[in-house]
Amino acid sequence: MSELFQKLSDAVVDMDEDLVEELAYRVIEEQEDAFEAIDKGLTKGMDRAGKLFEEQEYFVPELLMCADAMNIGVEILKPHIKVNGLREKHKVVIGVIEGDTHDIGKNLVKLMLETSNFEVIDLGRDVPPQTFIDRAIEEEVEIIMISSLMTTTMDAMADVVTNLREQGMKDRFKVVVGGGPISQGFADKIGADGYSKDAANAVRLCQKIVGEVV
Amino acid sequence: MTTLLSPKDRLLRTLAKQSVDRPPVICPGGMMNSAVVEIMKETGHTLPSAHLSWELMTALAADVQNYTSFENFGIPFCMTIEAEVLGSEINYGSLECEPKIQKEIFNSVKEVNFLPQGAMSKNHRVAAVVQSIYNLSKINSDIPVIGSLTGPLSTAASLVDPMQFLKGLRREAEASHRFMDYVCDHLIEYAKLMKDNGASVISIADPTATGEILGPKMFEEYAVTYLNKLIDRLHEMKIPVIVHICGRMEAVKPQIAMLHGDALSVDAFVSLKNLKSEISSVTTMGNLSTYLLEFGTPDKVYLQTERLLADRIDIIAPACGLSTSTPLDNIKAFTKAIIERHG
Repeated sequence: MSELFQKLSDAVVDMDEDLVEELAYRVIEEQEDAFEAIDKGLTKGMDRAGKLFEEQEYFVPELLMCADAMNIGVEILKPHIKVNGLREKHKVVIGVIEGDTHDIGKNLVKLMLETSNFEVIDLGRDVPPQTFIDRAIEEEVEIIMISSLMTTTMDAMADVVTNLREQGMKDRFKVVVGGGPISQGFADKIGADGYSKDAANAVRLCQKIVGEVV
Repeated sequence: MTTLLSPKDRLLRTLAKQSVDRPPVICPGGMMNSAVVEIMKETGHTLPSAHLSWELMTALAADVQNYTSFENFGIPFCMTIEAEVLGSEINYGSLECEPKIQKEIFNSVKEVNFLPQGAMSKNHRVAAVVQSIYNLSKINSDIPVIGSLTGPLSTAASLVDPMQFLKGLRREAEASHRFMDYVCDHLIEYAKLMKDNGASVISIADPTATGEILGPKMFEEYAVTYLNKLIDRLHEMKIPVIVHICGRMEAVKPQIAMLHGDALSVDAFVSLKNLKSEISSVTTMGNLSTYLLEFGTPDKVYLQTERLLADRIDIIAPACGLSTSTPLDNIKAFTKAIIERHG
């Protein structure tokens, strides 16, 4: 593996945007493979940042800054990727349920999924239950992901599953729930297909659902 | 103790670490709002109108106290007033749904437009809360009025886009500190209005200030610094302060011990019994699961509350924000478990 990729990975972990930029241009100059630089450099660095987050070495501010550093590199390298290097992306729709505008958790999950080759349709926050379903159909996604930070909005989460069932579409999409007050027990109770306690686990769960075992 | 304490004396004595006959059972309002739909439908004093009118706010707070038997009046019923005064757009919600920040007004800490001191006292929503505090303090002087405040970091993250704000804490430390100071100064002004008009206790909830989000270093640098700045100023005004910290707290136990608050209220999954043994000086408050309150039965609520008593929790309260569809019978079982057992 190119030494440059390792350096890119380190620069992402170190939240060093300037260094990422410099290294990304060096990848192009030295005619290294841009896709590999993203996959084995930038994405690898973000994976490591995710692990540090799980181990509580990094917290939300650090993870966000790693992601910014990674994205700077991706933007520079993307135009240089050979088309056959691209993998098909799995699609998910994500949002914060109606009544709740706390979207830090949702944004983290989105960010980690995007770095793991998922296409994420972000519905934002305060999203009515039926909108999750309408957009899931429209965008032909595989997974519906719902986040909530407030105990007061947990009922609306259950409505998504109930509506899916009533509309005969429960088997078409997998529903994953998460957020502060949510537990596996709650997910089971409302009939969701999965629960994730944090962003790193959400990625593993989605990979399992779409059959991309890692 | 021979004479029965009034609810106000009991709470104030508990916060001052003095002996009491039994723990108070309270619900401070704000993030922990107990104006459930069942009560509002019964009395006709309803949200969202009661967020804006002092008459309705007073009536609803009195209804809540009356129906639930919580041993305090607690207002306001939301966490949006501070951010509204300082510029963000608010959606007032509905009968079932609490108000929320529709859009944070700034994209980064560097864009913040600093308003002069005095902004709080000129605002109509602050006026409604303050007038209502005054009226409630006159309804029954034995019952303490708790003024609920949104904490410094949560207010800040309601003014600046939260993702940008969190990055700014590292990337733009100087600007972030200036912004936090600014937010704190306005919160102090608001709290002073509450205190001057009859609030007996201030309760601060700061859900953005969690160990899970910030980690120990940022928690100490920002959450502890600005919560303590606020608390210290309130103590100068001679009013006790409750602080509610969300999350599991494991990452920030030593930092939690640095907080100057008179009582520490926590989420349901934190063991207050363990916390008492870890931080010997702490006055504990909590922490009945709001999930149990919504979906459990009165019997289960009663049993679980007895466990809090057995664990010698100093102030009994819900662990977090209540769902507005929480059955009144469950809340009554909760307060009854404390009040009835002790006569």
